[in-house]
Amino acid sequence: MTNDIQEPIIRLEGVNKFFGEFQALTNINLSINKGEKIVVCGPSGSGKSTMIRCINRLEEHDSGKIIVSGRELTGDDKDIDAVRSEVGMVFQSFALFPHMTVIKNLMLAQQLVRKTKKEQARAIAMKYLERVRIPEQAEKYPIQLSGGQQQRVAIARALCMNPEIMLFDEPTSALDPEMINEVLDVMTDLANEGMTMICVTHEMGFARSVADSVVFMDRGEIVETAKPEEFFENPKSERTKLFLSQII
Amino acid sequence: MSVLGVLDGWWDDYFWGSVVVLEVFLVALVMMVLLGLIGSAAKLSNNRIAQKLANAYTIVFRGTPEILVVLLFYFGSGVTLTAFVQIFDPTVKFYDIPPFWAGSIAIALIVGSYATETFRGAFLGVEVAQIEAARALGISNFRTFIHVRVPEMWRLALPSFGNHMLSLIKDTAIISIIGLNETLYVAEQATGTTNKPFIMFMVVGLIYLSFSTVITLAVMVLEKSANKHLRSV
Amino acid sequence: MTFDFMLIFDSIPRILTGIGMTFQLLFLSVFFALILAVILLLMRISGKWYLVIPNMIYVYIFRGTPILVQIFIIYHGFPQFDFIRHSFLWPIFRDPFGCAVVALALNDSAYVSEILRGGVLGVKKELLEAGAALGMKPYQRFIHITAPIGIRLSIPAYSNDFISMCKATALASTITLLDMMGAARAIVSETFAPYEIFISVAIIYLILTWVYQKSFGLLEKRMSRYVTQ
Repeated sequence: MTNDIQEPIIRLEGVNKFFGEFQALTNINLSINKGEKIVVCGPSGSGKSTMIRCINRLEEHDSGKIIVSGRELTGDDKDIDAVRSEVGMVFQSFALFPHMTVIKNLMLAQQLVRKTKKEQARAIAMKYLERVRIPEQAEKYPIQLSGGQQQRVAIARALCMNPEIMLFDEPTSALDPEMINEVLDVMTDLANEGMTMICVTHEMGFARSVADSVVFMDRGEIVETAKPEEFFENPKSERTKLFLSQII
Repeated sequence: MSVLGVLDGWWDDYFWGSVVVLEVFLVALVMMVLLGLIGSAAKLSNNRIAQKLANAYTIVFRGTPEILVVLLFYFGSGVTLTAFVQIFDPTVKFYDIPPFWAGSIAIALIVGSYATETFRGAFLGVEVAQIEAARALGISNFRTFIHVRVPEMWRLALPSFGNHMLSLIKDTAIISIIGLNETLYVAEQATGTTNKPFIMFMVVGLIYLSFSTVITLAVMVLEKSANKHLRSV
Repeated sequence: MTFDFMLIFDSIPRILTGIGMTFQLLFLSVFFALILAVILLLMRISGKWYLVIPNMIYVYIFRGTPILVQIFIIYHGFPQFDFIRHSFLWPIFRDPFGCAVVALALNDSAYVSEILRGGVLGVKKELLEAGAALGMKPYQRFIHITAPIGIRLSIPAYSNDFISMCKATALASTITLLDMMGAARAIVSETFAPYEIFISVAIIYLILTWVYQKSFGLLEKRMSRYVTQ
């Protein structure tokens, strides 16, 4: 469901990105409204990760415009910092800081970036740990947690910074099958609470039940965008059909 | 330039000193490789005694200062040889083995103890799956060793081996202490005459720097060729 | 030729008079080397060419030449220059101990900076990206993520380097210093008993090396308690 009156919270206009000679993103145009959940799928090398990493400037786009929450992403540090404070990211490999306890993982950025006092940071951290349903793991170290638990901590860590938008870069791809659902459940809860989400994933069940729209990318281009039912039942492009036949 | 003028008359001494460095290096290199191979083979074997000996070897020579080993070898062998020779000819005061050999053997023993660990690590680093695959294809043990194990071991050992060679060539300077006429020794003589120690020792530094540069470049080339099958297009 | 055990027994105390100097040489050099190494490391990872190139030249020179030559250049060579003799640094360079510490520290710093760099490079990129995504500034990422993990990764290589330094201090005996090696050489020149004396001092070095290795092993174990990387 899109709200035409509102300004999109994320806008990509004519974005191109090169890695040396190789063009990773070609003329990307994407508009996302507040509260929308977008699933991005496509074969490997299609540029899905690159695209979302451009949104929080982990990658630099070479041409075109990226505007997040009204701020255009340029080389200016102030813009980058402002955007990063609105955008939270969850990585495929969880990327929890191994030398810190779970609770410290959640508190660190709050204390360093938001200058939050220790007690308050701790309270916020515990609140989100409860949201992701593992408050009892607070004093453990990442290595002592299962993959699914680590990823939920990673989600909580991003949420502690109170972002408007959450980016997920293949959050369940590195998980053993039995742990995928616990993470998807947390992500579904988040979606139902109204978070704007962009999710690069292969979990088509999740796409069907949660996404407002599915974006299919191939070889650096957005090939097709559609609501989940249309996307899965009635794909328009040949490339989309090929991809779907390979994964379903 | 008057600075370089000081070196007049010493150029050929430095040259021959460099030749000595090279000779010691090559001799010690051969010994070092042999010691490394024997040592690693011993450590990897099933023979408890061989393992214990090899372990003792690595522990002793990795923990003892180079200068100590050089002095011990030179004076120790001198004392032993003198005593031995005095049995036959009591008039002999001091009989020593040439500093060249005392020094070469000493530094070969030291760096050889590090080489033992390097070769052992390289040997163990070869993927077991590769060896099993070769054997499953019917390739004999010996041929598997030559065509599968050795090339991979060489590739894995090369970076550390390069460092061992660098250690070896720099250690030759220590042998000047027992009178080997390599470049540092030449510099000490030259200082005595010219009273310009700084430039004399700087030349030694430059000579060694050149040697280590050549070794480093050679290792880079060897590494490139040893890894060429792993580079993606 | 006999092996004189009594001589070993008598000499060990005398050899041990040098142990104080051995420790001073070792710990002072290692201390200064560590400080210099961190500076060198920051230069190297700064990305700025006017910092990276001097770093690379420094490391190239100090790792490419024998440490004994470096000691001789400083001890025998520096006093040659008026500007050194008249500078405030002269008390350091006039004294063989000062020269030895300077030479050992400069040499070690080159190796340690590369060891630290190896540790820093070993920190997984995603961890730094996670820090960036959370809004942490580059210096904050360095202090809270790169440094703790990089230090832990450096410990094995650093422990080997520390042992090398322990052995390198013996070279100070070539510039008249009476560390353990110097004491041993003095005794040998009096008694003409190289085996007994040198083997004794070797045993002492081996014991020290063993202690250092065990200590570093414990340190690494402690730092790796809760870590996968």
